[in-house]
Amino acid sequence: MSNSALERPAWSPAARYRHTLWLLTRRDLRVRYSTSALGYFWSILDPLVMAAIYWFVFTQIFNRSVEGEDPYIVFMLLALLPWTWFNGAISDSTRAFTRGAKLIRSTKIPRTIWVASIVCSKGIEFVASLPVLAIFAIATGAQLHWEAVYFLLALAMQFVLTLGVGLIVAPLVVFFRDLERAVKLVLRFLFYASPIIYGVSAYAKVGQEFHLVAAFNPLSGIFSLYRGAFFPDQLDWFTIAIGAVMSVLFFVLGLYVFKRSERAVLKEI
Amino acid sequence: MADLTGGITVSDAGIRFRRNRRSRRNFKDLFAGRKRRTLASEFWALRNVSFTVKPGEAIGVVGRNGQGKSTLLKLVAGVILADEGTVDVHGGVAPLIEITGGFVDDLTVRDNVYLTAGLHGMKKHEIAARFDEIVAFAEVGDFLDTPYKHLSSGMKVRVAFAVVSRLEEPIILVDEVLAVGDKAFKEKCYRRIEELLAGGRTLFFVSHNEKDLRRFCTRGIYLDKGKLVLDAPIAQVLSKYNNDYGIS
Repeated sequence: MSNSALERPAWSPAARYRHTLWLLTRRDLRVRYSTSALGYFWSILDPLVMAAIYWFVFTQIFNRSVEGEDPYIVFMLLALLPWTWFNGAISDSTRAFTRGAKLIRSTKIPRTIWVASIVCSKGIEFVASLPVLAIFAIATGAQLHWEAVYFLLALAMQFVLTLGVGLIVAPLVVFFRDLERAVKLVLRFLFYASPIIYGVSAYAKVGQEFHLVAAFNPLSGIFSLYRGAFFPDQLDWFTIAIGAVMSVLFFVLGLYVFKRSERAVLKEI
Repeated sequence: MADLTGGITVSDAGIRFRRNRRSRRNFKDLFAGRKRRTLASEFWALRNVSFTVKPGEAIGVVGRNGQGKSTLLKLVAGVILADEGTVDVHGGVAPLIEITGGFVDDLTVRDNVYLTAGLHGMKKHEIAARFDEIVAFAEVGDFLDTPYKHLSSGMKVRVAFAVVSRLEEPIILVDEVLAVGDKAFKEKCYRRIEELLAGGRTLFFVSHNEKDLRRFCTRGIYLDKGKLVLDAPIAQVLSKYNNDYGIS
């Protein structure tokens, strides 16, 4: 099965991988921003509208007031913005192969790049949306804590998890077209099943066994870490530890599924 | 050890496809071992194919439609993977297969040239050094900042050929791409291929055009029903092929 193409000596395989990944990531971002006048605005509009809706419903209509979760808009954006990254990357992964089919058929590129470039370009959009969070934090006077350093850990965990799930979803959709719709459904379910409009502490209030089950959703731990920046009480190390293990497991499983199905995928597209 | 760059070793390679693309497949199949029995609905597009190409050789692949020529080319290009045996390619490949595939409609011609050459492993300064040459060859000097989608289909192929044929890779794969484009440009492409051959590149050429095969290739590989029937000098291969299929 070995197809050992010796590249020109100037490239090590890792350097070649990074170079190609960067080219494709930049291509995705350029295409998105060169074809729409509002460009950057579009990538933050979705989470902003969602945040506005939930903020209105929960704080103005239901008078939600949970101690340690105010200002609610900042509390929510801390999970909603990374959710937009996860959600966007996974739904795009369902089309990773069909979108790049012509290029995949004609150019030898490590195939995992098709998923990795989606995760990277969506990740860059997420980082680019952070100033929005900063603006709301300043406007509402939310206080930043030293726990903000965990942001980096959360970023790393989310990258690993998203890549892993994308690597599972992308090849399977090639064989089972209806999986694309199933993925959309699961994502909608996950939105409510993850601590986005509520905090991770809400699980413990429902019941201990619920807290345990929810910890196996790695997004719980990841969002808990992001929130630590402004709400240190939200750091739930039990959930975070399980989330970290789960993220790595998803990644390993993703690599395995991808490698096993790669051969068949290439024949199919 | 001698310099193998540009050589290709195919040993006992085989690949199978499903006869009916729509037929259902289940999760279990995906994870079953490669050595698993062939399902009734599958067929071997290529099997037990072995040959060695020395650097600088020009090989023409001959056979009727659907006998595995393009599949063989794709195996060499590394865009599909063999189910059995091995395909070892020593050195980079410049694949003139679906050459417009990597181009993005919404980006300009200039961006597309950098993108495609970059994806094939060229560094930015290497592309910059060849950029004028590529543009001159494609004759699209006035359209550099035009979105790619606004080019005519002939122009698109010209840009793509200009880029891929400038990759400076030791192996070139050509799959009927030259059937498109006007006569003058086609001739220009052929001259470019001859230039590359003279520069010691290895050529792998799939065509139904006997004249082209004789023009470029010294050695022929004749594929029939997924088997390698004859591996000999091109004239011999062509005469056997013509004999088998009754064309004078």
